[in-house]
Amino acid sequence: MNALLLNTLTLYFRREWQLMFRNTGTLVQPLVFFVIIALLFPFSLPVDLDLLEKIGGGVIWVSAVLATLLSLERMFHGDYLDGTLEQLLIHHRYLPLAVLGKVIAHWSATGLLLSLMSPFLCLAFNVPVEQIWVLFIGLMLGTPSLTLLGAIGAALTVTLHRGGVLIAIIILPLYIPVLIFGAGMLSQQVQGLEILSQIYTLAAILVLALTLAPFAIAAALKATIN
Amino acid sequence: MPNAESNSRSPSTTEKLISVTNLCCSRGERVLFNDLSFTANTGECVHIVGPNGTGKTTLLRTLCGLNGSDKGDIRWLGQPISLSDAFTHQAVYIGHKDALKNELTALQNLRFNQQLESIHDEDALENSLLRLKILACADLPVQALSFGQRRRLAFAKLLLYPKSVWILDEPFTGIDAHGRTLIENLCVRQLKDGGTIIMTHHRSLQETALRTYSKEVFIQPQESIL
Repeated sequence: MNALLLNTLTLYFRREWQLMFRNTGTLVQPLVFFVIIALLFPFSLPVDLDLLEKIGGGVIWVSAVLATLLSLERMFHGDYLDGTLEQLLIHHRYLPLAVLGKVIAHWSATGLLLSLMSPFLCLAFNVPVEQIWVLFIGLMLGTPSLTLLGAIGAALTVTLHRGGVLIAIIILPLYIPVLIFGAGMLSQQVQGLEILSQIYTLAAILVLALTLAPFAIAAALKATIN
Repeated sequence: MPNAESNSRSPSTTEKLISVTNLCCSRGERVLFNDLSFTANTGECVHIVGPNGTGKTTLLRTLCGLNGSDKGDIRWLGQPISLSDAFTHQAVYIGHKDALKNELTALQNLRFNQQLESIHDEDALENSLLRLKILACADLPVQALSFGQRRRLAFAKLLLYPKSVWILDEPFTGIDAHGRTLIENLCVRQLKDGGTIIMTHHRSLQETALRTYSKEVFIQPQESIL
């Protein structure tokens, strides 16, 4: 990769992390939301370890989707309000890579942390150890796609004061394939079936999102700011 | 993709640096301006004049490529700006929003802008703050600065790297008399060095140091609806 292009990616990645460390609330909120949503289920269901074991993986996946969704609104909105988004759009740096740097930083502060937290949540659902690994791999492959797809919705609603609901309406249908294959891995594992096809499908969705989403995000930002 | 080699082209004696021809912009169904034509050359300060709501900011945003136009064209050295990588390398825009991150210090904000231009010069950062008389604010987060100090910091970015075209939207708003003189002197320096400035300002420039360089372009209020 051209050094200038790689520099664009790393520059925006580092700046996003710098901003997130200055505003730790943005790091903690999705994580706390993820844990609380997931823990509501064991508290609200009958005390049945078999039931918890069956639904645990699915609940953690849905919680991860909702926590990702919650964090999307702030991805570009702050930049829009302070004018840095305008500067990003008119600068000669390659826009799709600049937004990709931002999105990767955003994922590492949400999706990556959620994935790392998921094994601990599995304990609350009595999920067996062999399934914990399956869930972790699924989340590691699935959450980057969730963030990349969600960033398109965030870009389309960047000028709206409260665009969160609209992002959910636009993006949630696109999350369904990731959810089907991610949660599907767990049921396949329980039945003793091969899970490689699900892993490959999630990886393929990720490669597709990684390749196309930065261009879609850049186009959406330009169209929305115009 | 940006092409650094395209920077090297310099204007010939007959070719205008920027030429705007029969430009028409509208917002919704309201025509802001129609058949607007002007040119800007090296050493010239084009002062866009017109009542509120006539589209002065829209004109500047259209020049930067942030907004589209309904008809007409804008050329940089005879080439449409939408196709000119050189223009995005050579132009800098300071709008109503300062494009500063509240969480970061004044120095960190400047450093990021410098890094975007692939420059690493700590002395230049401090020198730019010194020239705008805000060196004492170097390590303060931007959210702790006053409105006037933020505006000065926004203009300090102009000193970090040489750009031949400055596009400034109401540059003197919110700045005290001393700061105004500083910015006027910066503008004069830019023009003496062969740069070009296109600015909006609600007052005449005749009483400023810019009077000998400025030419006024009037935007007439439009009655027509598309």
